[in-house]
Amino acid sequence: MGSDDGPPALSAAEALSAYTVMVQARAVDDRLWQLSRQGRAHFVITSAGHEATQVGMALAIRAGHDYVVPYYRDMALVLALGQTPRDLLLHAMGRAADPASGGRQMYGHFSSRARRIVSGSSSVGSHLVHAVGLAFALRIGGERDTAVVTSFGEGATAEGAWHEALTIAGIQRLPVVFVCESNQYAISMPHHAEVPVADVALKAAGYGMPGEVVDGNDLRAVALAMRRAMARARADGGPTLLECKTYRLRPHSNADDDRRYRAAAEVDAWRARDPIGRFGEVLVREYGVAPAVLAQIAGQARAEVDQATLDADAAPAPHPATIADHVFGTVAGAAPRSEDQRHA
Amino acid sequence: MTTTEQTLLEAIRGAMHDALAWDARVVVLGEDVAVKGGVFLATDGLLERFGALRVIDMPIAEAGIVGVAIGMALHGLRPVAEIQFADYLYPAIDQILNEAARMRYRSNGDWNCPLVIRAPFGGGIHGALYHSQSVEALFTSTPGLKVVVPATPHDARGLLLAAIADPDPVLFLEHKRLYRTLRGPVATGQGATVPLGVAACRRPGRDVSIITYGAMVHESLRAADALAHEGVDLEVIDLRTLVPLDRDAVLATVRRTGRALIVSEDNLTGGFAGEIAAVIAEHGFADLDAPVRRLAAPDVPAVPFSETLEDAFMVSAAKIMTAARELARY
Ligand SMILES: Cc1ncc(C[n+]2csc(CCOP(=O)(O)OP(=O)(O)O)c2C)c(N)n1
Ligand SMILES: [Mg+2]
Repeated sequence: MGSDDGPPALSAAEALSAYTVMVQARAVDDRLWQLSRQGRAHFVITSAGHEATQVGMALAIRAGHDYVVPYYRDMALVLALGQTPRDLLLHAMGRAADPASGGRQMYGHFSSRARRIVSGSSSVGSHLVHAVGLAFALRIGGERDTAVVTSFGEGATAEGAWHEALTIAGIQRLPVVFVCESNQYAISMPHHAEVPVADVALKAAGYGMPGEVVDGNDLRAVALAMRRAMARARADGGPTLLECKTYRLRPHSNADDDRRYRAAAEVDAWRARDPIGRFGEVLVREYGVAPAVLAQIAGQARAEVDQATLDADAAPAPHPATIADHVFGTVAGAAPRSEDQRHA
Repeated sequence: MTTTEQTLLEAIRGAMHDALAWDARVVVLGEDVAVKGGVFLATDGLLERFGALRVIDMPIAEAGIVGVAIGMALHGLRPVAEIQFADYLYPAIDQILNEAARMRYRSNGDWNCPLVIRAPFGGGIHGALYHSQSVEALFTSTPGLKVVVPATPHDARGLLLAAIADPDPVLFLEHKRLYRTLRGPVATGQGATVPLGVAACRRPGRDVSIITYGAMVHESLRAADALAHEGVDLEVIDLRTLVPLDRDAVLATVRRTGRALIVSEDNLTGGFAGEIAAVIAEHGFADLDAPVRRLAAPDVPAVPFSETLEDAFMVSAAKIMTAARELARY
């Protein structure tokens, strides 16, 4: 198994671009908290700490080809799939040009049909069944070589819909990779209060699929495990449950105070193992990247986020007259009825 | 276009058969739908004809069935999911209301969810609390979801084909008491769809408008025939779809008769009859010669089993006659 101590699993170009996305994601996250304190972003949900897991996942995904059914924590993932800091700031500020929802959903509900990133609700665990349906549709259409990835927290595994999704995927042996971003808390609730076994991966046995635990703060370990799981899915070898053990470095959201349920010393200990710093060291040590290059990447990310903030700030809000747009689509061949006109 | 005599069940089965034959995007999924052909045999023979990739037996997982249908629809398929009884839509409500109904809106029109959920509903068949419910009011208050309740074999086929062709999620509620008891002419052929959102006048009349849907259409028609002998002339409007609602048809019938009796098999409080009453009160007040009247089931949690209790629960032609007579005299 590849890890920080194993053989290099990524090319230098892959490693450097993965690092760039991780840094960019953290810069966006930093900015969102700042905007929240300034009252310019109403809702922030963090991805800080999850970057190695999410960017590692993306290394096994063909963007725009494989389907991705993410959850609210997945900002670094959607960046790695090609969304931009500008897209994310438009989303966070609820602008009309927000590509995820046109200003309808609060931040964290990423979506782009063109990139095959599927829109989700806020209802925890409700989206895995959509991934299973997409995989089913791929099978029905005979579209081999395409897989579906869906992600969620360990708390979500307590939900009924989570169980139904894995049951159906297991029965039908569908090409889905289920990725648990196992960060030890569901808001305030520790792992043992949501999950009755030590590892979410152990649950896989009950659904007839392989389960694997990886170090979610080790980018290469995640990428390798994901590539194995995706290869199995693409080769019609069935689903996988992958548990990436990681840690959320900030409160759950801007409405949360994490001092109420976890010790500062615990958070500090995990900060010392920040996945971005850790992978930066790998770049220097194993890939011979000069520290100055890393500093340059960080500076570039900050500048990009500054520009994205200016752009989003200046972008128009949705017009109130558009509130009833996209409730229903247009029925082919149907004439508009007088009632529709009255309410138009 | 040819016309044949079919039961409601045959019309529904035929619509699914033809949709599967005409459109490669259509798939059918649900509990016991493939090998057995459905507990009511609504999907009988479809597995043999279309194979296991398009007629799919699913485990007892209603949120999973609807959620999988959503995923299929997102990829461009046209899934028709069967929930074995409407009483078991509850485990899937998060998927239906929070996911399917809100998908288009929440993505600003980027994604849409063209799926149909079929479910047998309704009482009067000794099905007791959990095989008799009328659940439509739980679903009519979330814009983004269409709700269809056919009352005739012709409509069942035509509306189901229109629902499958519709670009948005449709809940298709089939009254199980009508499955085999109702026969009628059905126009077949690809063009014979019935558009969603258009009510039908089943019987023109001068004195009182009955506005109803589902099995209550037939109870109302029986009541109208009987009252005709007493010189009371009822008009019967079959809404056919609750969302979108044909408000024009509701207001037009009130304009003709000046008296509205809304008949619903659901219980009274919070039922869809209240919405019809509100539409008339807001937009048809000047046309009324009498207060709007609702006739619905008593406010008890569900349909009880014992025949005496079930009869007390169900709205019948006799109860409709009493209410209509009073309203005509007002
Ligand atoms: C059905 C539902 N119940 C409760 C919530 C409130 N809620 C939002 S996130 C969350 C915790 C989820 O924890 P986990 O699945 O571990 O993911 P994490 O946030 O840790 O990444 C809760 C309880 C919700 N959004 N949806
Ligand atoms: Mg968690």
